[in-house]
Amino acid sequence: MGQRLDAFNKHACINIVNHKDELTEVNDKLLELTGYTREELIGQPIKILYPPAEQEIATDIRRHLQRGENWDGETPLLHKDGRTLYTQSTIIPLFEADGNWAGSISARTDVTRTNELIAERHTAQTLYELRDDIWIIDSQSEKFTYMNRAAKERLNWVSEAPDGGSLDGYECQHDINEILAACRTLQQNRSAAHQFETVFMGVAVNVSIKFLPNVDNTGRYLILLNDISERIEKDLRKSAFISTVSHELRSPLTSIKGAMGLLLSQSAGELPSSALTLLEIAHRNADRLILIINDMLDIEKISSGEMSFDIQEVDLVALIAETGEANAMLQQRFGIDVQMIGMGSPVLLHTDPNRIIQVLTNLLSNAYKFSKPNGKIIIKLEEDVDHIRVSVQDEGPGIPEDEQFKIFDRFADMANSDRASKGGTGLGLSICKEIVESFGGAIGFDTKAGVGTTFFFCLPRALQDDLFTDNALEKMSA
Amino acid sequence: MIKLLHVEDDADIREIALMALDISGEFDVVQCHTGEDALAQVRDYTPDIILLDMMMPGLTGRETLEKMREIPELASVPAVFMTARAQHAEIEELLQNGASDVISKPFDPMALPEMIKQAMQKHHNSGTI
Repeated sequence: MGQRLDAFNKHACINIVNHKDELTEVNDKLLELTGYTREELIGQPIKILYPPAEQEIATDIRRHLQRGENWDGETPLLHKDGRTLYTQSTIIPLFEADGNWAGSISARTDVTRTNELIAERHTAQTLYELRDDIWIIDSQSEKFTYMNRAAKERLNWVSEAPDGGSLDGYECQHDINEILAACRTLQQNRSAAHQFETVFMGVAVNVSIKFLPNVDNTGRYLILLNDISERIEKDLRKSAFISTVSHELRSPLTSIKGAMGLLLSQSAGELPSSALTLLEIAHRNADRLILIINDMLDIEKISSGEMSFDIQEVDLVALIAETGEANAMLQQRFGIDVQMIGMGSPVLLHTDPNRIIQVLTNLLSNAYKFSKPNGKIIIKLEEDVDHIRVSVQDEGPGIPEDEQFKIFDRFADMANSDRASKGGTGLGLSICKEIVESFGGAIGFDTKAGVGTTFFFCLPRALQDDLFTDNALEKMSA
Repeated sequence: MIKLLHVEDDADIREIALMALDISGEFDVVQCHTGEDALAQVRDYTPDIILLDMMMPGLTGRETLEKMREIPELASVPAVFMTARAQHAEIEELLQNGASDVISKPFDPMALPEMIKQAMQKHHNSGTI
């Protein structure tokens, strides 16, 4: 019997608490597990062994025990160094001969490692079942040390390790070599991770490589192959859709606008003034529809990185003048006085003139729309050594405070009926922001209720190669 | 009179272009609704300028022009494309491949005669085909 108790003592952590829940006895196994000495525990409340966030479990156990019930279950225990350990516990209530509550005795088995193993096994299983291919390759031997199911299936690797996990001899050797070359470059450059898109065995994939170093300067490459063919196909379908929309909407609009243009020119016969007024309304709204289509196409191009730029040296002063002339009809319609400041001599810079005209037209048409009749708009050009700043100032109502933060968001002005009634598409400022930022510039505004708004954009005098490479250049080459 | 061959599959756009060109009184216009029809037409009619829609069923505008360029009489006739897909890169490519100009749809019909005359002028100045 003594030997049996000894074995039990060696396997399980035992403690006894009195009716005040104070520890009165602890065995060596419990001390070994929790890191305390016997002196540190005896006389302390049992709660000392429970993590602060798990104190309620002690109350729950006591409730069971006082009803005379045993308690079985997993209990967390707090190691002296703060770690949380997990034990499978059986706690039995103790009563005096007169039936009074005397405390309890607990027998606990350490299951921390078991839990960790279960978690690890769960992680491994999840990785194995993952849709993406996972490879782990030893950096020195360049042999597979792990492949999940998706990877094995793709490489048609039927047995566990037919040739010691070698990466040679595959039909898709060229594709594997490309990934291996990227791994070697990663290690040579002492980078932690690298990502690129390629075609692997005829499938478009995104390859993510991470170097997992060992202590002895060796390491393993963790490689994840994510099939992106679906995404690419979706993008292609989207582009085709946009292209179709472009063509299918513009063709009837060509007829609508063309027919109205001919009628307005009175070349098909003289029209009464009331009919001309109605035609002008229809013609203006056809223009608006074209603007909406163009803006939507631009947004799509920006989103897909296909916005094209035609960079050349241009005179910004001439561009501003050209934009002003192109919008002369608006100026006449709204009876606005437009003043130009800082445009005495040419200001040259490298940019895409059409895109800059697009930005200027947007800012200017907004200024017209929100100006009071017979008001004033000031277009100002300022320059310093590195930057050129163009601003368009109106005397409109200003932008309400609760709309300011979203003014450059797509469809920002459509939420407000007053703004929508001004004829905007809700995309213009968002497009302006994208264009200006593509040139390494910035766009912003100052506004004051009842006084007006000044929209401005700054462009670097010289196109910054790195910025342009990161933004517009990629889009240009797309 | 400027002899103009207009190839466009959309009947409404053909009508509008014809009216606009007639108003100017400077054009003798022959219209076709497909590239194939245009290629048949040019056996008897040598235009001074060709106005081509890009997207057409059957031969596209680009393909029609390529075939026309094989006809010695049309090898250097200026050609203007009309397109609803006026992307900078596409326009550049069309210009490099023998187009004298590219007109974006929708276009202003009243400005069409002038646009065509400018394209002819540009073509003659550049001396390109």
